[in-house]
Amino acid sequence: MIEEPYRWVEAIATRRDYIEMQLATGSPVVALGYREGILLLTVGQQKLFEIYDRIALGAIGHPGDIERLRMAAIELASTEGFTRAAADVSLRRLAYYSLSPVMKNAFEQIYGAPFLARLLFVEIGTSPAGDLFLEVEYDGAINLHSSDGSNTPFAVLAATKKSAEQMAEFLRKRFQSGKDLSATLELALDAWAVGQSKTDEAMPGEDDIRRQRSERLGSGTVAAAVLERNANRAVRYRAVEASELAPLIAK
Amino acid sequence: MDGKEALDFGASSDFPSLLRQKDLLGPAAQIGPINKRAEIMPTESTTILAFKFSDGVLVAGDRRATSGNTVVYDRADKVLEIDRHSIMAIAGVPATAWEMARVLEHSFQFFRRTQLQEMSVDGKVRALSKLLRDNFGFALQGIGIVVPIFATYDVKVSPSARLYFYDAMGAQFEATDFAATGSGSPAVRGILYYENTWGKKPLQKISQDEAVVVALRALDTASEADTATGGIDRHAKIFPVMKIVSADGILTLAEEKIAELFHERVA
Repeated sequence: MIEEPYRWVEAIATRRDYIEMQLATGSPVVALGYREGILLLTVGQQKLFEIYDRIALGAIGHPGDIERLRMAAIELASTEGFTRAAADVSLRRLAYYSLSPVMKNAFEQIYGAPFLARLLFVEIGTSPAGDLFLEVEYDGAINLHSSDGSNTPFAVLAATKKSAEQMAEFLRKRFQSGKDLSATLELALDAWAVGQSKTDEAMPGEDDIRRQRSERLGSGTVAAAVLERNANRAVRYRAVEASELAPLIAK
Repeated sequence: MDGKEALDFGASSDFPSLLRQKDLLGPAAQIGPINKRAEIMPTESTTILAFKFSDGVLVAGDRRATSGNTVVYDRADKVLEIDRHSIMAIAGVPATAWEMARVLEHSFQFFRRTQLQEMSVDGKVRALSKLLRDNFGFALQGIGIVVPIFATYDVKVSPSARLYFYDAMGAQFEATDFAATGSGSPAVRGILYYENTWGKKPLQKISQDEAVVVALRALDTASEADTATGGIDRHAKIFPVMKIVSADGILTLAEEKIAELFHERVA
């Protein structure tokens, strides 16, 4: 009966609901440009990863699926970087050509298992205008923000669309370029708290955000990583250690 | 990058085998029947040396690349950074050696990225050994022999400086004080042994400047008798490449610094 077009559309819709439900408890991921590069932040289990010299990944979803996609991305980037050069590894190509078709395919093959994962890739350029923020949905849809020198070098990943919209709205109001790491961590944590609040309510006020933030932070550890623009080394990715993080975050 | 094939993989953590799987690494040479009358394998025409001193390990190499009796290049870099704390210095066929260094560099990074932890020093030492073993067929044919030195700094143990040398088959030997390979190495080994045993201080106690002087004198001595070793080119002002591995990472000594010590204490 799946052969009937209507049934197929219905099955896809059901599958979409199922995946959204599975992702609904994910802890948001925030990526923000700052003076020296790009910051990635989340709270909870490890889900910020180094993919290649200039590419990092944050994810929401099933650990097994995130792992498969992460490994695929690393293998593709590494073989490309080895056979040509690190500068030839392109996030656009990785997402559009390699990951998106496979994820779309898995999603639409309704007898097989889809990827229960939402990915946020970040690629650092030689200047802020060259930075790239790119989200890949479980169905292979891609949302690309090239920062193009505009004042919105940020991207978010949240459990629901509504949460993501609220986080983006919050960041559009509050984000200022050229801030240092400490201020950017603060803002990222606030944005994370916005992404955690109930979506059926209006945007929480400043005090609410702070209160929710401290309440929720108690139950998880902050994980942060940076891509540094002017690092003297080829590898721009660096996990921000807990010892370095603690003094930067105002209690 | 092939989209469809992209996700069709095993959980490989070994980068060379991934390359082989994707046909991106040259084929391994077959080890055929040994021809007893085959010519003797060419020597590794170069001199590289490494020794432990008070700050870490100093690795130095001359700059000459030869093909038979011809000097092909006088600015070759045979002391290569593999990662933040590892150096591979190469004697042997450049094409194979530089490719090996590239594979090694990517292997360590690939491991860190996939396994979310740094590869252990033992793992790194083995990885190079495996590359040499895979290359053995070529070495036997006399066309791709590589005999490297590997120096690294293990932050997890004390004493932390670690130094290894290899044979062409991939056997690894940990050196307590110093190592040298290449055609000019017999002279260098003699000098380092002498310095370490009867010098003013054992090598492990000397300062960075003293270490540079020892390395310069050793390479100069090696080039005296070995035509394949560049030593110090006094006319063109070409000095050996020297790098230091320590707890802080890798330091490439500035040419001016080497030149200064050369003029003061070697020339």
